[in-house]
Amino acid sequence: MTNPIEIIRQAVIEGRHNEIEALVDKALENEMDPELIINRAMIAGMDVVGQKFSSNEIFVPEMLVSAVTMNKGLAILKPLLQSGGGGSRGKIVVCTVKGDVHDIGKNLVKMMLEGAGFSVTDLGVDLSVENLIEEIKQLKPDILGLSALLTTTMPEMQKVIEALGDEGLRDSLRIMVGGAPVDAAFAEKIGADGYGKDAAEAVRIARSLQALSKR
Amino acid sequence: MKSTSHNLVMSALFDGRKGNRPPTGTPTSIACHDLMDATGVSFPEAHLNAGAMAELALAGHEIIGFDTVMPEFSVDQEAAALGADVDWGDRDRMPDTKSFLYEDFSDIFIPDDFLEKPSMRVVSDALAILRRHVGGRVAIIGKAMGPWTLSYHMAGTQNFLLQIGLGEKGKVRKMLEQLLPATIASIQAQFQAGADMVVVADHATGNLVGAYHYEELLLPFHKELTREIDGPLILHVCGNCSDRLDFFAEAGFDAYHFEWQVDAKTAVQRVGHRMSLIGNINNPQILYQGTPEDVYNQARYAIEAGVHIIGPECAIPLATPLENLKAIVAAARDGY
Repeated sequence: MTNPIEIIRQAVIEGRHNEIEALVDKALENEMDPELIINRAMIAGMDVVGQKFSSNEIFVPEMLVSAVTMNKGLAILKPLLQSGGGGSRGKIVVCTVKGDVHDIGKNLVKMMLEGAGFSVTDLGVDLSVENLIEEIKQLKPDILGLSALLTTTMPEMQKVIEALGDEGLRDSLRIMVGGAPVDAAFAEKIGADGYGKDAAEAVRIARSLQALSKR
Repeated sequence: MKSTSHNLVMSALFDGRKGNRPPTGTPTSIACHDLMDATGVSFPEAHLNAGAMAELALAGHEIIGFDTVMPEFSVDQEAAALGADVDWGDRDRMPDTKSFLYEDFSDIFIPDDFLEKPSMRVVSDALAILRRHVGGRVAIIGKAMGPWTLSYHMAGTQNFLLQIGLGEKGKVRKMLEQLLPATIASIQAQFQAGADMVVVADHATGNLVGAYHYEELLLPFHKELTREIDGPLILHVCGNCSDRLDFFAEAGFDAYHFEWQVDAKTAVQRVGHRMSLIGNINNPQILYQGTPEDVYNQARYAIEAGVHIIGPECAIPLATPLENLKAIVAAARDGY
């Protein structure tokens, strides 16, 4: 395997975090385009990681290490991109809803979305509806991702969606929801635009929501 | 065999004689708003006061009709005794460990008076109260966190899982090894206080980690745990654990408390001859959002599959309607 893109892609998939910086540096020395490395190695690598996670070939520990690997590579590549913004595929805000402090699922979604080329702002956990509304007004994201691990905090998702409607912010925003107790039926019931059962599916949903909004 | 709550559960725990109906109960939290309102006991009081704990636990038997009582509603009692900063929550919010004392995986210090710390003492005292009230009539269940869950509380869940991914197996094993004595001490204290059996909650959860992680890193410690403890032990691990059922049986637990994601028939066929099975009514969709009829049907499915003790799959959502919980008991009263 001598193709540097393929070597970097494999390093992301296998989570070879100690090697990634040297591999990226070498590719850049050989005058490879940073954007090409991001798209064909980083994003493509994380896509495979997501697929392996969805099919239970790998689990959270391996996924976290792949994300660490990707982030080390991106730290070198992003400053080199021409447009500064780096050709983001869209702006996404993620958070865990009020009353819920669980963040691993939300963090994995963030990592995977970043790996897929989205620009992601993480507003953290236990976020009140009021604070979230303020942040949405300021950040003006394309997509909002809401997470809840607890059955008791699921209803907060509905409160957020209703409040966004009251504030006139709902129509300009796509909303996706996820978390252990959430399912597609619940997402539809509360008026969300999409539901992902895991971080890989969140990326697929985000891509399709972005495609829809650009129509 | 006389079909009392206590006898039905104890016999089912060892796949013994069947009485006139399957037993119902749960080794995880039964706390919900309806029971809080009925008893006048709420959170955080029910985590911190032995009398309140026992009273709320007893309501699971007296009001719902379950054959078990289990007084520990949080997963943070041991973490608090090990020095973690715990937010004990409120009526609408379960407690949560706020600080991770051993993020750097340095040596863990278990205080000499670990069992006398307020968060541990309160559980023992609550079990003793339950023993005095319903001992020999209702099955009394204690609850302890296993070394894997305690590692989440000591190092932070994401940090602990990342170290596994990074291949830091020495660090991970050292933490588990250092925390196992806390689990063992907690279990022994609860048996001495009056528990008939103790559930070990150890969240090597399906979807978070794989069966291969469990086998390599946690199974040896679970084997050591079951060797050290003479009394009946139930294992609780959330998520879809279909891929590791055989390892749980191999670990030597007497029973496994499992989620709806593991099909009841599959679980019984795979490991029902080696360990008893407890559960596995779906919490979010059925117990919380479903109707009593939905619950009844799922409970009947579990009974017909051969699940030994019928109950919720995990700590119930706080807003679970009482009628739905009673539907589990109704399904069991219709017999085998």
